[in-house]
Amino acid sequence: MQRAAFASKNSLVTLLVSVLACVFLYFALVGSLFVALTVIGLGLALIVFGEYMGKAEAIHTAFGEHRILGIAVLIMFVLTLPFLLKGNNYLLHIVVMGGIYSVVALGLNFQMGSTGMVNFATAAFFGTGAYTSALLVTKFSISPWLGTVSGLAAAAFLGLLFGIPALKTRGYYLSLVTMALQVIFTLMIINTSWLGGPNGVPGIPAYNIAGFSFKTSVVLFGMKLPYQANYYYLVFAILGLAVLVAGRLYNSHVGLAWNAIEQDEIVAVTQGINQTKIKLLAFALGAAFAGLAGALYGHYTSFIGVENFDFSISLIFICMVLLGGMDNVLGVVLGAMLLTIVDEKLRDFADYRMLMYSLILIIILLARSQGLLPKRIRKYGKLRDSKIEPNF
Amino acid sequence: MQTESLTINFGGLKAVDEVDFAIADEVVGLLGPNGSGKTTFLNLVSGIYRPTSGKIIFQQEDITGSGAHVIRGKGIARTFQTNRLCLNLSIIDNMLLGLYSKKKSTWWQAILQPKQCRKELRQNIEKCLQLLEHFNPDLVDKAYDPITSIALIDRRRIEIARAIVGNPRLLLLDEPTAGLNSEETTQIINDIGKIRQGDQQICMIIIEHDMNVISSICNRVVVLNAGKKIADDTYQEICKNEQVQTAYLGG
Ligand SMILES: Nc1ncnc2c1ncn2[C@@H]1O[C@H](COP(=O)(O)OP(=O)(O)O)[C@@H](O)[C@H]1O
Ligand SMILES: [Mg+2]
Repeated sequence: MQRAAFASKNSLVTLLVSVLACVFLYFALVGSLFVALTVIGLGLALIVFGEYMGKAEAIHTAFGEHRILGIAVLIMFVLTLPFLLKGNNYLLHIVVMGGIYSVVALGLNFQMGSTGMVNFATAAFFGTGAYTSALLVTKFSISPWLGTVSGLAAAAFLGLLFGIPALKTRGYYLSLVTMALQVIFTLMIINTSWLGGPNGVPGIPAYNIAGFSFKTSVVLFGMKLPYQANYYYLVFAILGLAVLVAGRLYNSHVGLAWNAIEQDEIVAVTQGINQTKIKLLAFALGAAFAGLAGALYGHYTSFIGVENFDFSISLIFICMVLLGGMDNVLGVVLGAMLLTIVDEKLRDFADYRMLMYSLILIIILLARSQGLLPKRIRKYGKLRDSKIEPNF
Repeated sequence: MQTESLTINFGGLKAVDEVDFAIADEVVGLLGPNGSGKTTFLNLVSGIYRPTSGKIIFQQEDITGSGAHVIRGKGIARTFQTNRLCLNLSIIDNMLLGLYSKKKSTWWQAILQPKQCRKELRQNIEKCLQLLEHFNPDLVDKAYDPITSIALIDRRRIEIARAIVGNPRLLLLDEPTAGLNSEETTQIINDIGKIRQGDQQICMIIIEHDMNVISSICNRVVVLNAGKKIADDTYQEICKNEQVQTAYLGG
């Protein structure tokens, strides 16, 4: 009796918090800069207050128990958002970009959040995916879908290469090496004419399924949606998959091994963790995420230029992970979404945009240095409810 | 496990100097003044350092120069002189790390989550909990607590449990009683005694300063001084050994 009452309380908490999160995100997206900032400030205050009152852990537990409910609310929100936005193409564009960046940030999180390797070359991985797919499709007219897969693979390979220095260096030295690699990447693109050089690659074809081009608008349930809606659903399907993969890795021996490396490499290797393999895995998988997102980006915007993949973009990815919460899958997505929204809302400020952006970042991090949704203890559900016997 | 003229140089310093050592099915105490190379010896055996010269042989196999993770996989586990747990992970996560070398799931199975992968995790968790229960039943209910929230003696226990949960053949304990009071020392020594009862296959090398502890649990004692092995005998004989006495009394 009491148990049932307790359980329903937790499901209510889950429902309330996830609906609230969706409402906040919605208003941050549709409102003016002022409204967006107010909403973000309010959300931040709620999180800080919740933690201060000691409710955060309870909410976390509630979510753990009613994951399906929370996920259902989020999926409903994602599915209906284009209709809630009344097919506004500008707002949809912001969300598509947020989704693409979220995938990249999830990948970076493997290195930075889980393993403690701060990588400043994520934009290079993002760019590798974009350029590989764009060039293959424009020059050899292969299908954009195939191009995207190639982009993912090429970025993963580059991730392996860039990961090699990570085996020899750590901490600041590793970060420095990745910065150098990022700069090399940018310079290489600018100075190679068949990569488009400073002019970029124009005219990248859109995706299509059985003759239906993603660049055509559609009518769904009586509402005319701009072509951005096609990309919106595609990007969010991929983001959903990325979240699933990242979450599973986090909860598995892989996530645990990454955390152990982050904490103490000597301890990690004496537990049998192959440091070389697990670090390269963090780089290759992270780069694969970024490469996939990069390819999507190219086929969405139909133009890519070197300025979309330079050092400042790498910095933005790092900020997304830092702000959302290191080693927290949902946190990273939240961080990526919020920063993308804020960045767009600041467009009116023209020259002062970066200044404002940095200022907002500093204020949020001062209020909450560990990020909006920080790392939590890994949960495996009820530990002893099964009749399982150890096998040795 | 045995070593043949095992040596490591740090610059000009021979921290471990031509040590011939052998352990059969037994508990060996490793003694010696501070800085005599005991910890360095364990670091060599567990693969953290690569020897300058000499050999390490484990179960008829030359493992000299193998990586630490490979050596752990072959069944040599260790603890550290200063408690080294992953502080921002929970008790259960720290314990699960001890089973890492036993896991069969690959990284792509971690993504695809086939049934046997999930089953393996449940089995590993159960195995860890059973062992924790053996050491201190309170820890089972605290399995999700972060390491920072528990007492030093329990941290020691968890470190030992993490080392033995994967059923190693050789366990290396580096000063398991350092920093504990006499009552806690007794408890830990009890726990270490229980390991041998629970698993007669396991042999151990224990670094320890407390002579009572050495005499009560070790079959044999090896004494190092300035990196060199100066004695290798039963406890009673070691006490009479003149070289050992001068080493300890300011040799
Ligand atoms: N990584 C290292 N680099 C240089 N010298 C070291 C290193 N590790 C240990 N030593 C030196 O080796 C000697 C033996 O140290 P150690 O094995 O820790 O002694 P013990 O554990 O017996 O107290 C000491 O003089 C120490 O300073
Ligand atoms: Mg020592």
